[in-house]
Amino acid sequence: MTAETGAGTRADSRGAPPPPPKHRYAWREAALPTLISALSIVVVFGALGWAITSAEQWPRIRHQFFNVDAMVAAFPRVLQGFWINLQVWLVVLACILVWALVLAVVRSLRAPWFAPFRLMVVVYIDIFRGVPALLLVLLFGFGVPALNLPGLPNSGLFWGSVAMVLSYAAYVAEIYRSGIDAVHESQRAAAKSLGLTEWQTIRYAILPQALRNVVPALMNIVVALQKDVALLSVIGVRDAVREAQIYTASTFNYSSLIVAAGLFLLATIPMARLADYVTRRDRERRLQLAG
Amino acid sequence: MRGTGGLLVGLAVALLPLVVEAQERSPMDPRLHTPGKLTVGTGDPVYPPWMLNNDPTGGEGFENGLVYALADEMGFAPEDVVWVGQTFDQAIAPGAKPYDFSIQQISVTEARAEVVTFSQVYFQPDKAVIALPGRAVEEAASFAELQEARWGAVIGTTDNDYLVNILGIDNAAIYNEQVDVFQAMQAGQIDATLVALPTALYVTAVQLPEARIVALLPPDENDRGHGLLFEFGNPLVEWVDEALAAVIERGVVEELKQTYLVADPDLPVITE
Repeated sequence: MTAETGAGTRADSRGAPPPPPKHRYAWREAALPTLISALSIVVVFGALGWAITSAEQWPRIRHQFFNVDAMVAAFPRVLQGFWINLQVWLVVLACILVWALVLAVVRSLRAPWFAPFRLMVVVYIDIFRGVPALLLVLLFGFGVPALNLPGLPNSGLFWGSVAMVLSYAAYVAEIYRSGIDAVHESQRAAAKSLGLTEWQTIRYAILPQALRNVVPALMNIVVALQKDVALLSVIGVRDAVREAQIYTASTFNYSSLIVAAGLFLLATIPMARLADYVTRRDRERRLQLAG
Repeated sequence: MRGTGGLLVGLAVALLPLVVEAQERSPMDPRLHTPGKLTVGTGDPVYPPWMLNNDPTGGEGFENGLVYALADEMGFAPEDVVWVGQTFDQAIAPGAKPYDFSIQQISVTEARAEVVTFSQVYFQPDKAVIALPGRAVEEAASFAELQEARWGAVIGTTDNDYLVNILGIDNAAIYNEQVDVFQAMQAGQIDATLVALPTALYVTAVQLPEARIVALLPPDENDRGHGLLFEFGNPLVEWVDEALAAVIERGVVEELKQTYLVADPDLPVITE
């Protein structure tokens, strides 16, 4: 409001403002950009499509990668495998969020007697973030069950999932920590001045703000994890990727991989939109706070 | 003048195939991947008894023995045989292949023949069941009893197809490599696996002596046996096929079988 009034006053002092441009309905100007973008889309994608389909090997590639019959034949098994992907994803995700929070909180505790635990968490994160997830899956999926530990399951699915939790929790713990570090120091001071203990400070003052800070970053991990569950296929888990590979290996036809890719897209694209939405809402909230 | 020109052209056209013919079906055949060499693809690593010592050039083993016999039949010296190591995935990928043909215990099936070209079949192995002692599957005497076990197999083999089509087992764990299957077996994640008999004999003798062959199974008629794999429509197939037929005719394959793939005749056979 103030800005507008200010501008008005200034215009008055310099004489009458120029009359506003005559309003006319410029459908040409409105439609032209749309037309140009539509045309350029058609031209670019048309050229790409023509370049691909006119390749000498295209009929064979189409037969081997985009064969509708093969896709239909492979679909039931790939879908069945994808169901396993989703189950593993949800269970592993829940475990990761909890375990990573434990790690992050331990790492942010300030009291001196927590020093050995802080050190353990630092070493843990260094190790599990530094080793490729695929290696962890192989080591846990084949190595640990061979120990025949009493009382523990020896299924590849279980130990592969454990490996995923251990690996991803290292990343997520660091995300949590960035959120915790982003909470202003004065919040700790304020909580302390109210007489809260260290644990109460974290529980009631720091974590609620920290978690809200990292939701967009966590959504990213959730999407990535959904695809990385496919790593379990190397230890014999029949997920969507493995089912698709089995079909490919037995018929030499790759259409089943396209089916699996389609299923993953169906699941991850809504997630990506959700992540966008969460990020936008978060941004709006911050702008409101700032304003 | 016109008549003479036409005659000359006609003569040239008539002679052209002869000239080409002289080059084709010889080590200098221009259709070869590298003229002058016979370029052969195979697995990397290679496993006994198909090829011994992880060395195709050594000539010791069933498959490389066969290739050297074939090369000799086609007029190549042993040193003109060039080996290209590839994974199974590379062998089945579409597009140009960096060899004339590949040998890797690849089973010929109808679906596969739509995307690659196969030579005639040179070997049809029996399927064998391998298990560690003390598992229930050891006592199995029927398909129904076999179905109760937890199975594992290697991707890319027709072993899984066999499990699905003949035994009706569709939840076998499928691994990338043979060693993974045996690791899973030792970890107690699976009870049994199915492999070609020659592989089974080698595995139980050398790699995993505590495991044993439980039984033999009847052949699957959809699996026509091992063939050489060519890029789809490769014109060399005819020539190689004729040479392969001659090699089989001479009893070379039978001889190689006796040397490298002898089976234990006392194994029980489960047929239903």
